[in-house]
Amino acid sequence: MNKSILVVDDTRSMRKMVAAVLQGAGYEVAEAGDGVEALELARDRVFDLVVTDHNMPRMDGVTLVRELRSLPNYDPVALIVLSTEVSPELKQKGRDAGASGWMAKPFDPQRMLEIVGKFI
Amino acid sequence: MSQLSSALGDADAFREIFFEETQEHLANVESILLRLDTDAPQPDDLNAIFRAVHSIKGSAGMLGCTDMAALTHLQENLLDLLRKGERPIGRGDIDAMLKAGDTVRLQALHHRGLLSAPPDSSQVERMMLERVSLPSADVPGTQAGQVTRSFQVCLGPLLEAIDAAELDMMLKGLGEMGAVDNAVIDNVPGGSVRFEVSLMGTAADLESVLSLVVAPEQITIGTGASAANDVTLVPAPDSALVSRSSSAADVAYKDDEFFVDPEQFRRRGHAPAQPAPSSAGAKPADTNAAVDLFVMPEEFKRQRAGVAPPEPVEAAEQPLADSPRRAIEQPAHAPPDATFIRVATEKVDLLINLVGELVITEAMLARQGALSESGADGNYVNNTGLADLSRHTRNLQEAVLAIRMLPISNVFSRFPRLVRELSSRLGKRVELQMSGESTELDRGLIEKISDPLTHLVRNAVDHGLETPEARVAAGKPPVGVINLRASQRGGNILIEVSDDGRGLDIARIRARAAERGIAVAVDAPDEDVWPLIFDAGFSTAEQVTDLSGRGVGMDVVKRNIQSLGGTIDLRSTPGQGMRVTVSVPLTLAIMEAMTVSVGGEIYVLPLACVVESRSIDAGEIHTLPGQGDTLRVRDDYLPVLRLAKLFPPRTRPSQPAGIAVIVETDGCDAALLVDELVGQQQVVVKSLETNFRRVPGLAGATVMGDGSVALILDVGHLVRLAGREGAMLLQGSAGLEA
Repeated sequence: MNKSILVVDDTRSMRKMVAAVLQGAGYEVAEAGDGVEALELARDRVFDLVVTDHNMPRMDGVTLVRELRSLPNYDPVALIVLSTEVSPELKQKGRDAGASGWMAKPFDPQRMLEIVGKFI
Repeated sequence: MSQLSSALGDADAFREIFFEETQEHLANVESILLRLDTDAPQPDDLNAIFRAVHSIKGSAGMLGCTDMAALTHLQENLLDLLRKGERPIGRGDIDAMLKAGDTVRLQALHHRGLLSAPPDSSQVERMMLERVSLPSADVPGTQAGQVTRSFQVCLGPLLEAIDAAELDMMLKGLGEMGAVDNAVIDNVPGGSVRFEVSLMGTAADLESVLSLVVAPEQITIGTGASAANDVTLVPAPDSALVSRSSSAADVAYKDDEFFVDPEQFRRRGHAPAQPAPSSAGAKPADTNAAVDLFVMPEEFKRQRAGVAPPEPVEAAEQPLADSPRRAIEQPAHAPPDATFIRVATEKVDLLINLVGELVITEAMLARQGALSESGADGNYVNNTGLADLSRHTRNLQEAVLAIRMLPISNVFSRFPRLVRELSSRLGKRVELQMSGESTELDRGLIEKISDPLTHLVRNAVDHGLETPEARVAAGKPPVGVINLRASQRGGNILIEVSDDGRGLDIARIRARAAERGIAVAVDAPDEDVWPLIFDAGFSTAEQVTDLSGRGVGMDVVKRNIQSLGGTIDLRSTPGQGMRVTVSVPLTLAIMEAMTVSVGGEIYVLPLACVVESRSIDAGEIHTLPGQGDTLRVRDDYLPVLRLAKLFPPRTRPSQPAGIAVIVETDGCDAALLVDELVGQQQVVVKSLETNFRRVPGLAGATVMGDGSVALILDVGHLVRLAGREGAMLLQGSAGLEA
């Protein structure tokens, strides 16, 4: 059974790149264009891991993380924020919201797989 | 790209998506910038711009478009400052952002191989930095989330001396951003420039400034003594001096290296307080900063396996097992942009043509069906089938044509920028109002109508609107208004370009007409004089400006519009402005039509121009001296056009009287005399020009249901022909009744 990963990013090229990297490594990947869409998908099923952008319309990544953590069944799911924004204040917010990790964009595909591999 | 190629075979697909979305982002940013109220900027607007620029930057970095990443990074800095309200937004900020957007667009073109050389971005980068370094309204350091930081900068050893003026400007710029102290300038090859600087911003911001004057590998930034309120989030790994050797663009989005303090996170962590092994061990410290793990992955796995009840996860995975891959690869709530595909226009055109043929075939079948129905059993099945076929064919045709429809905002969107630039060059103040941008028309028309419309808008700014001084002197508000309005009327799109400027100068048009030897009756009403500006080479601009008035003007506009089967009309009120109305068909491919017969021949009239039709007696037509035949319709006397006279029938003669079809074109009505009305249907327009040659009075031809060819009348032209023959249009009957 392949592990499933939800990739959330409003930038299509970025989302496709993340998805391609993960799919290339054999993960099942679902995509969402913002936090609201991601939440809708996450309500229907529990993913093994979520990689989310932060700066998105409608609902940003940190808020998504907080919302996901409040869903039943999402306690044990790794939630990683992938953002160009790396200010400690924001990271702190992410951590408080329940994020499991924070990766900076642009990302190194190998490194992403390494991190994801450590979680699932 | 190099980063991606290790994990992905081919980054081209992503680049395509990236360039496409970059274009969208830039267009979006531009439109927001142009409507931004600099006095009271909406936070949402600024955030939307920030997000768009941010998106471009992120993907550009991944895809090796480092110049785009660098420039968008500078934009982001400026935007960040503006959206935090650190100083009011000035016109210069908008200019700089617009210019930056243009440059990013060119950079993208270059990366796509559509531009041989990358654009020169040094000027716009400087512009951005100047904007960023403008003194803020508030005391630095008091803004939430902003602290003043001190850095020690060493530029060198220098391979060559830095341009003295550039160095001076940079230091001045930095001085304005914060404070520059203890400068030791040894600006010679092999020497170095050292100084301390305190400013609000990150080391990466600083570096992007510095890299404008020296190569990044010669830049060393250290963190030094801090201001009193400095929250030191530094230091970077090991030493206080971090030597950088990557390109400026690379540096631009690795801010985190300077501020990440994993120790802090671990101390406060709700997760096991263990050092993150992956961060410490696998890679050199500075790249590790790119990833923060708040929770130990291994610990996480254990938690997951042990503490977490396995059921939900299993249950969640169940649907996947049932329908492998599909469930997850095509999420029910697919992002809207995923539903777009790019298709070559030729393919769509082929489809439209084929559907056109299908419509004709369907009409022929329906006719056959109607004929056989008059026979014995009524042929129920056959007729139901035909009715269905007819419905489906029409739906299919509509759907196919809709593929080619685009909102006119595709054209309108360029005007805010155009008006802004023209008005600032001409020293005029203009407010551009637009409405009906969502009105859709054929893609082919969109392309062809954009030049004439651009010309009209240029004209309005250049010739129509006065300078603010002249406007005030004339008792008008200093800001002129240009109004662009699109709407759909039947099968036509109406586009109005109006201004509240000086209007047409009738005296000058008359003078110019006299110069050019065009006879104009002295007592000719203004309405007859205006259209003269559509004549070739007719320009009344006192001086030829670089914007308009090159001698090709309204005549070209009119020709372009007419070649689209459209009309152009203008109204002008001296001192109050003018309005140009362009009307073009929704699509060139099909037309709602009324079919009429004259002497056994079938003719097609565009339904859009038919007002009404009624049968008449011969006695109702009055011949007025000097005005030809007229027909009284309610209070109007309309010129009468006998189709049988214009197109003499070959076979049998036309009936003496019959049916009058009242048509409207260019705001003029006329009565078209025909033998009978045949029906109303959609026709597929075939060009006469491509199949035969242009014939005055005919707009094209079509294939009828029975396979015969019918001619489509150019009603506007016919009415004008009639006018030339002396059948003057009579609006209002007061004069006649008397």
